[in-house]
Amino acid sequence: MSASSFACASGLNSWGPDLSSSQTSRHKNLRFVLVSYHAPSLFLQMHGCTIGAGPPIYVDEVYAVKRVLAIVLSAIVFASSASISSAASNSVEDDIKTVLAVGPGGAGSADARIARDRLAEGGVKQLPRLLAAMDTDNPVAANWFRTAFEQIVRREEARPQPQLPISYFKSFARDPKRQGKVRRLLLDLLDQHDPDFRSKLILTLLNDPEFRGDAITETLKRGDAARKQGDDKQATLLFRAAFGSARDSSQVIAAAGKLKAVGEEVDIISHMGFVIDWHLLGPFDAPGKTGFELSFPPEKSIDFTAVYDGKANANIRWKRYQTADRLGQVNLATAIAPVKEAVGYAYSEVNSPRDQQVELRCGADDNITIWLNGKKVFSRLQWLNGIRLDRFSARVTLKKGRNTLLLKICQGPQHKNPAVPNNWSMQLRFCNAAGAGVGITNALK
Amino acid sequence: MRKSRTVALAVIAAAFCLTIDDATAGNWPGWRGPLGTGVTVETGIVGTWSGDDNVLWKSPLPGMGISNPIVWNGRVVVTASDGYRLSNLHIICLSLKDGRKLWHQRLWGTRPTRHHGSKSSMASPAPVTDGRHVFAFFGTGDLFCIELRSGDLVWQRSLAAEYGAIENRFAASSSPLLHRDKLLLQCDHYGDSYLLALDKATGKNAWKVERPERWLSWASPLLVPLGDEKFELVVSGSHQLEAFDPDTGKKLWTVDGMSRECIPTPLYAHGLIYAVSGPKGPTLAIKPGGRGNVTESHVVWRNTRGAPFVPSAILVGDFYYLIDDQGIGTCLNAHTGERVWQKRFAGKYTASPIAADGRIYFVNEAGLTTVIQADASNYVELARNDVAEAVFASPSIAQRRLFIRTSRHLFCIGTAKPKR
Repeated sequence: MSASSFACASGLNSWGPDLSSSQTSRHKNLRFVLVSYHAPSLFLQMHGCTIGAGPPIYVDEVYAVKRVLAIVLSAIVFASSASISSAASNSVEDDIKTVLAVGPGGAGSADARIARDRLAEGGVKQLPRLLAAMDTDNPVAANWFRTAFEQIVRREEARPQPQLPISYFKSFARDPKRQGKVRRLLLDLLDQHDPDFRSKLILTLLNDPEFRGDAITETLKRGDAARKQGDDKQATLLFRAAFGSARDSSQVIAAAGKLKAVGEEVDIISHMGFVIDWHLLGPFDAPGKTGFELSFPPEKSIDFTAVYDGKANANIRWKRYQTADRLGQVNLATAIAPVKEAVGYAYSEVNSPRDQQVELRCGADDNITIWLNGKKVFSRLQWLNGIRLDRFSARVTLKKGRNTLLLKICQGPQHKNPAVPNNWSMQLRFCNAAGAGVGITNALK
Repeated sequence: MRKSRTVALAVIAAAFCLTIDDATAGNWPGWRGPLGTGVTVETGIVGTWSGDDNVLWKSPLPGMGISNPIVWNGRVVVTASDGYRLSNLHIICLSLKDGRKLWHQRLWGTRPTRHHGSKSSMASPAPVTDGRHVFAFFGTGDLFCIELRSGDLVWQRSLAAEYGAIENRFAASSSPLLHRDKLLLQCDHYGDSYLLALDKATGKNAWKVERPERWLSWASPLLVPLGDEKFELVVSGSHQLEAFDPDTGKKLWTVDGMSRECIPTPLYAHGLIYAVSGPKGPTLAIKPGGRGNVTESHVVWRNTRGAPFVPSAILVGDFYYLIDDQGIGTCLNAHTGERVWQKRFAGKYTASPIAADGRIYFVNEAGLTTVIQADASNYVELARNDVAEAVFASPSIAQRRLFIRTSRHLFCIGTAKPKR
C-alpha cells in the first residue's frame, strides 16, 4: 500500500466509521464504489488523488480531498439509498399491481399470493399504501391486501411500543370517499387505541354513505333518552334529523313512528319515492309460464275506456287503485283477482320537478316488465320470484313534467304444494343512489 | 349381526364415497362427517358430560355461525361472521389438544344477505378439508381456499361479484363437497340458482349448471358411488331431487316430490338415496343410476311422517332416524319406510344428529344432548347431557372427542384418557 493511498484513506477516518483497520479491503470497497460512479472518480483524478495504487497525493491537499470525498460519499450514499428506496417502492407498487390483477375464476391467485407475502413483510410505513390499495372495488384483491395489512398490524402490536399511524387511520376512517369496509376495519382497530373515537365520529355522520345507519341509530337513541327526560322538543329535533337522513326502510319507519309519538306526521311514501296511484288491468289469460312472452293490448296503447277479453272470457277494464301499504306495495291478488297463470298491467303517471337521472327500484311476484315514457327500461324473467323492497334497480331518466309508467306483472302456475299460496304483487319507487325520494308527485287525474 | 353389517357398510361407503385415504381415519373433514352420513366409525366417545364435566377444553368463538367444526388430525377449524351486516368473515384453526388458537384468518364478505336472527349467519355452510387445504364457503357468496397448516389464503372466488348476490331468506347454508380434484357447490336461492364445480387447486370453474327452476334451498349436495369409480352428484332442490355427473355436470335423472324449500342433506346407504324435505314433506328412498324422470321407476318407498324442515336425517343399520324442528323424533325401517317408533324429544332442533359407536346424538337448541342407542328397534335413551348454551350448529366427532359448537364457545368433550 502506498503512502498516498493511506493518506487519502486516513482522511476519511474523521467522517465515518472506523476505517483505519482493514485498509486494503476498504480501498477495494472504495474502488468498487467509485468505479461504479464515473463522475466522482474523474473528479478525484482531476484533483490528483487516486485510490489504491497510483500517483502520490500532496499532503496540503488532504483537507480539500476530505471535503470532496465527503461530498462524493454523501452523494453516493444518497444515490444508493434513493436507488434502493426507489427499487423497494417499485417493488411495492408492482406487488400491489399484481394483487389488483386478481380476477374472476380465481385468475391471478398464485401471483397474488407471492406478492401478498412480500407486502406483508413490510413495516408500518407501508400501512397507508396498503389501505389505499384496499380501497378498491375488487373484493378479492381487497382481501389479499387485508391479510397483508393485518399481518403487519399484528406484528407491530406485539412490539413493546407499537408505532401504528393512528392519525392517518383516523383521517382515513373519516373520509366518506373511501370504501366503507376499510373504514370499518380501521374503526375496529382504533377501538383498541382510542376507545372514544368511534362514538364521537359516528354522531357526525348522519349523511355518510357508510355510517348513515349507525348515526341514525345513535340519533334515535339520543332522542329516546331526551324523551325519557321529558325533553320532547329536543327529542323531536333528533327524530326529525334521523328521519331526514334515513334511507333504510326499517329506519325510516322507526323514525316516522317516533315522530308520530311526539305528534309529528311525516310522509314515508314521498320520502322514499314510492308510486302508489295506479290504473290496474287484468287478469289476462297466460297458460303455464307463457305470460312473460305474451303481449296484450296495453303494450300498444293505453285506453281507459276499452273493454278487453280477460281470463275465462271475462270482460276486464282498467280500474283506478291507490295502495294504502306504507311502503307502496300493491297486492294484485286482491286488487285484481286471486288467479294463477295470468298477466296484469299497472299504469301510472308521475311529475318530475326536473330532468333527472334516477334509480328505478322495484320488486314483483312473479316477474315484471317496465316501460317508462313508452320505452322498455326493465324486464326480469324469473318465476318463483319473491317480492322484496328494492330487489331490482335500473338507472333511468325522468323528464321534467309528466312521465308515463306501464308495468306488466306475470302470475305463474300454482305451486305443486297446494298449501303454498300464490302471491301476485308489485312495488316501485324512484330515488337517488342513496335511496332518497327525488321529488316525484302523482300526475294521474 | 346388524351392528357388524352396519360397520361393514360404513367402511365400504368410506372407501367409495369420499375418496378418503387412511389419513382421514378419525377425522371429520366436512359437513356430515367422513362418510357424508353423519355417522363415523369412531369409538370410545365419552357417554356423559355437562358444561364442566368431561369438557377437555372450551374456546370462545367470535360472532355468529352455525357451521359445524371440522377436524383433521391435530386441528379443528370453525367459521364465523360478525360486524356490520355480518360481512366480517372468520376462519379459525384451533389445536385439537387444548383449543389454543393456531391461526385466525379474517376476511371480507362481498354481499351479505338476510339471515335468521339467531339460527343463521353468513357462516352457516360447513367448511371442508382434504387435509392440505380448507375450503370455506360463506353466505356472502365468497369461497376461500386456505392452507390448513398455515392459514394462508391460496385463492378466493367472489361468486356474488361474478354471478350475483345469493338472495336467501335465512342466508345460504349449503356446504361444499370435495370430489377428486374438484370442489362441488350448490347455490339455490331466489336469484339465479346454479351448481358449480371448481378446480380445487386454482378455484377455476370446471363446469357450471344453471338451475332456473330452483329457488331458495339450503341442502348440501351428496356424492353417490355407483361402482367402477363412477359417481352421481345428488342435489335436493325445489320440488325435485336431481342427479348429475360430478365430472361434467351432465344431468342424469330427476325425481319429483320434494318440498319447495329443501334444507336437509340427502344420504346414501343400503344402495339407496334417502332424501327428506319438510315440514310435513316427503321422505323418499330412491335407487340411483337412473336416466330421465325416474319418479315412477326408482322410488322404492315414500313416507310423509316426521319430516324435519331443518335437521338432516341419519341412518344407522336398518333404521332411518328423523328429528323434526319441534322435537318429534321418528324412526323408520330403512328398507320399507314403515314407522318403527315416534317419540317427543326435549326442546327444539336445528342441529342435525350424528352417530358413533352405537349411539346417536341429538343436540337441541338449548344445548341438551339426548343420546340414544343406535340400530335398535325400540327407543333406548342412554343419557341426557347439557352444556347449557344455545346450540344451532351440528356437532362433530373426531379423534375420540365430541365437538359441540354453541352460540359462544366450541366445546371439546372427552376424557383425558379416551376409552378405546
